[in-house]
This record gives sequence, C-alpha cells and structure tokens, in this order.
Amino acid sequence: MALVSTDTKIAEYLTELHQLIKQTQEERSRSEHNLLNIQKTHERMQTENKTSPYYRTKLRGLYTTAKADAEAECSILRHALDKIAEIKSLLEERRIAAKMAGVYSDSDPPRKTMRRGVLMTLLQQSAMTLPLWIGKPGESPPPLCGAIPASSDYVAKPGDKVAARVKAVDGDEQWILAEVVSYSHSTNKRHTLSRRRIIPLPQWKANPETDPEALFSKDHLVLALYPQTTCFYRALIHTPPHRPQDDYSVLFEDTSYADGYSPPLNVAQRYVVACKENKKK
Amino acid sequence: MSELKDCPPLKYYDFKPVEHGKLCPRYTAVLSRSDDDGIGIEELDTLQLELETLLSSANRRLRALEEQRQILTDWQDKKVDKRFLKPGKEADLMTTPRHSKPKKQKLDGKGSHGPGPGPGRPKSKNLQPKIQEYEFNEDPQDIPRNPKNDAPNRFWASVEPYCADITNEEIRVLEELLKTPEDEAEYYKVPVLGKHYSQRWAQEDLLEEQRDGARANEKKKGVMGPLSELDAKDVDALLKKSESQHDPPEDGCPFGPLTQRLLQALVEENIISPMEDSPIPEVSGKDMGNDGASTSPRSQGKAFRLAREEMHKQELRQRVRVADNEVMEAFRRIMAARQKKRTPTKKEKDQAWKALRERESILKLLDG
Repeated sequence: MALVSTDTKIAEYLTELHQLIKQTQEERSRSEHNLLNIQKTHERMQTENKTSPYYRTKLRGLYTTAKADAEAECSILRHALDKIAEIKSLLEERRIAAKMAGVYSDSDPPRKTMRRGVLMTLLQQSAMTLPLWIGKPGESPPPLCGAIPASSDYVAKPGDKVAARVKAVDGDEQWILAEVVSYSHSTNKRHTLSRRRIIPLPQWKANPETDPEALFSKDHLVLALYPQTTCFYRALIHTPPHRPQDDYSVLFEDTSYADGYSPPLNVAQRYVVACKENKKK
Repeated sequence: MSELKDCPPLKYYDFKPVEHGKLCPRYTAVLSRSDDDGIGIEELDTLQLELETLLSSANRRLRALEEQRQILTDWQDKKVDKRFLKPGKEADLMTTPRHSKPKKQKLDGKGSHGPGPGPGRPKSKNLQPKIQEYEFNEDPQDIPRNPKNDAPNRFWASVEPYCADITNEEIRVLEELLKTPEDEAEYYKVPVLGKHYSQRWAQEDLLEEQRDGARANEKKKGVMGPLSELDAKDVDALLKKSESQHDPPEDGCPFGPLTQRLLQALVEENIISPMEDSPIPEVSGKDMGNDGASTSPRSQGKAFRLAREEMHKQELRQRVRVADNEVMEAFRRIMAARQKKRTPTKKEKDQAWKALRERESILKLLDG
C-alpha cells in the first residue's frame, strides 16, 4: 500500500505546483507595471538628456521596487522548481518500490528487458531535465554543478548516476554509466567498486550565461558518454555550451581516425566529467 | 560646468519580462487550466525547463537592478567611484575622468544633442555605437564583470613604471646624467678669494705712504733722512712679516690650514659630508653614505652600475623564458607521441634533454 500513499502525495504536489505557477504569473503581471514605468523613465531621461535629482531619486525608488518584485518572483519560481524536483523524486521512489515489489506498470518496463532505443531516450531525457543551477546574486556554483568536482568527502547516494570503472570479462577496464545501488564496505553482488573507481555525474547543469567558470573549457580532457552507448571514453572538449540547454561538442580519442580524434560529437552536460585517469600504454 | 559631474553612468537596460506566451507555451497552457484539470506528470519536464528559463531571466534582471541601484546610491553620495568605467570598452577614456564619466548610452540619432546642452556631455560618440539600450536577455554577461575587472587594471597600471623592465633609453638617460656633472665640476671652483680688503688697503696705504715718504725724503733729505728710512724700513719689514703669516692659501680658503686639516679629518671619518662647492681638496675614498637623494657623481655612478647589472639580468631572464618555452614544446611533443601510443623517438628525447640542460645552465648563470 506504500504505492498508494505515494500516488496521493504526488497528486497533492501536482496541485500545489499548479497553484505556485499561478502565483508566479500573478507576481509577474504585477511587477510588469513597474517595469514599464522604469522603461518610460529611461526614455524620458534620455530624450531630455539630463539626470536631475528628481529623476535620480525616482529611478532609484523604481529600481528598489522592481528589485523586490524580482526577488519575490524568483522565490516563487524556486519553490515551483523545488516542487517539481520533489515530485520527480517521488516518482523515482515509486519506480524503485515497484521494481522491488515485482509490480511492473506498462509505462515503466524493467531495466533488464528494456530495448536499447528506449534506454537511449531515457538517458537523453535525464540529461535534458538535469536541473539548471541558478544562483542567487553572490552565490557560486556548488560541487557537482557542471564541471565543478565533488567535494573530497562526497559519498554517492543510492539512485545517483555515476561513471564507474569496471573490469570486463576479458580484463579490459571500461568506464560505464551506472546507478548507485548502495554504498557499503561489505562485499556485494553485481559490481563492488572502491570509491576511487566512481565518478559522480553532475547534479546540476551550469548556466553558461551566468556561471561559465563551472563549465569545461576548450581542449580540456574529459570522460564523455559516447552517443547511443552507455560507456565513457576519453575526449577533448571542442566547444562548451552557449545556452543552458546546449550540449558540449567533444572530440573522442579514436585511433581509427587519421589525427587520432573523432569529428565533433554532442554530449549533454550530464554525461561529461573530468578525466583523472593516466593512460599507461 | 556642474552638469558634467551630474551624469551617473547608468546603463538603460531594457527590463522587459520574458514573453512567456512565446517562450513558455506549456507554462501558459497550464495557467489557463482550471484547478480541476491540474498538471500531468508527463508535462513536468517541459515545465521544469520553462520555469528555469523564467527564473534565470528574473535572476539576471535582479542582478542588473541591484547594480544600477547601487550605482545611483554611490553616485548620490558623491563618491568618485571609477567602478563606473567599463574598462574593456573604454580604455582610451580612462585618462580624463571628466570625459569618461558621462557614459550615457544614447541612440546615435540623439548624439547630436550633445554639444548643445552640456559641453562635456558628448562623449557618447567615443563609445562604441553598439552599446545601445540593451535587450536584457542578450547581454547579461557584462553586468557583473565590468565593475570587478577595473580595480586590478588600475592598480597594475599605476605600478607599471616601477616594475617594468629597464630599457636602453633609461640607461642612456643615466649616462647623460653622469656626464653632465663632470662638466659642471669645473664650475664649482670658486675663484680665489684673494687678500682681504683690509689688508689690501693697508698695503696700498703703505705703498702710498712710501711714495709720499720717498718724495718727502727727497725733499727733506737732510732733515729726516735716517729716521724716516728706518721707519719706512721697519714698517716694511713689519708688514711683510705680517703678510707672510696671514697669506691666504692659494686656493682661496679663508679659514687657514689648520681648519682645513680638521675638515678633511672629519670628512674622512664620515661625520661631515663634503660640499662640492667649497673647494676642500680631494675628499676621496669613502662612500658617501646612503643618501639616495644626493646627486653626487658617486651615487649616480652606483645607480648606473646597478642599472647595467639589472639589464644584464633581464637579458638572462629573457633567455630563461625562451628556454622554458622550448622545454614545454619538447614536453608536448612527447605527450603527443604517448597519446598516439608510440614511444617517443630518440630525436624527441634528445630535444627534450637538450632543452632542459640549456635552461638549467641559464638559470645557473642567473643565480651566479
């Protein structure tokens, strides 16, 4: 019956989200009036070509009001985004619970029998909906935002997506896309890996317009997920994204090409991590 | 002229809110739904993206508002805050604060208004015409950056003359400075004082009297003969003796040889610094003390020598930099070779070693 209560909660949250969105719009229409005033004052100041104390004080007052409005709008928007994140995590919980309970719904086929195309779509969606980091003025991007590495004592939580280095049957080491099931010291089924072999994937996208320092720059060596696969390979950044929704353009190391690198391929921010491995050959 | 200072460098941002009708369709659709319809789970992703767009634009607006408001407040307090300058775009305006303060971004058509209302106003022509009223979404990057970047630029600009490399020009200036004192040294010699006037007059008077006496003698030869001669002789002898005692030395120093010797001893002991315009003979040998401001030839020579040494060191440092680059090049070549999964060739290894050794030898020279 755990599923039911999750459903109810989800429904509840959705309603709340709806309310929040409506509130946002109310706030925005309210502040629009003030913004128009500001625009008119700007125009007048420019045509008359002077800034008398009257104008200055007036502008300052308008700016202060607009600032308060913008802050309110930001705050509601953040609530709404948080609400969405909560709903998503509830959905995720539901999915995991369903898998454990052995109940499969039609829309969520179990991973084992998932077709490759479906998996790829899921991956793509996951990349697209990675939350964008929008810092308040003065806030700098946290660890695991874009290119900012995890803090050294970070422990990946169950459900986190990571890049993991595993040994294949023939002894070759490969970086693969993996999901953390649990972190424990004891031996376990499937892959048991030491922390050194795990690189957590970013949890936020970095916004190129406000936090470009949280992005990898050109020619940086990274591990990137090869398109249409679930494996990470070494690559050099060709171009970082310009807009928040854009992907990195990377050059994969590929000995089958003349210069040793593939043509530029697009990889989402979510699937690009720093490469610390030294190639010893 | 007070108008000149009265223009705060405001940027007239276009604070237009995001057109959610165009850019956020899902958001708009949701808005128009009644409460019963609610939101579907499948819409969450798109909603998330749209909300993120709205939030980031509101955020940018917030930052810009804050910045502009701050400018107005500071400027209100009449602080001369060079933060107003946009360093990257207006380097040429940095020189005169008058000209650079009025940073109003006017439309080109209105630029002609400039000379009319205020003489100092028209610097908008210097500004790049593309800095018009900003479409807010397009140019957010400049906002936080510009105030931050200015201070370090100004600091380094002011420190630049002290840290810059010594050029040949400056060496030449020092050389010229050194030469001129040598020429002038001759002018420092004060002409000999000569005898003091009282003595001279006494001598002249004596001569006069002698002549008179001689004439008188001739007239009164018989009467005063022996006496006057004796007198004259005596007087002469006396005078001569006194002269010889008080004869001023050749170089015109009025203080006598004892004083001279005393002064020389004192200077040698470094208690008194020698004055170039009083011709005390040759105070050579000891250093002049650490008076950095003195313009004596000795300290100038020192500065000259130091400048020469520094030039030499600079050349060496330059060579070190070149050697560094060569080492880096060799390193890169080897890394490229490794990436391509082949061992670096002997040639590459040799190059690397050569570059390393060269660099080490230059460094040793530098330290030595």
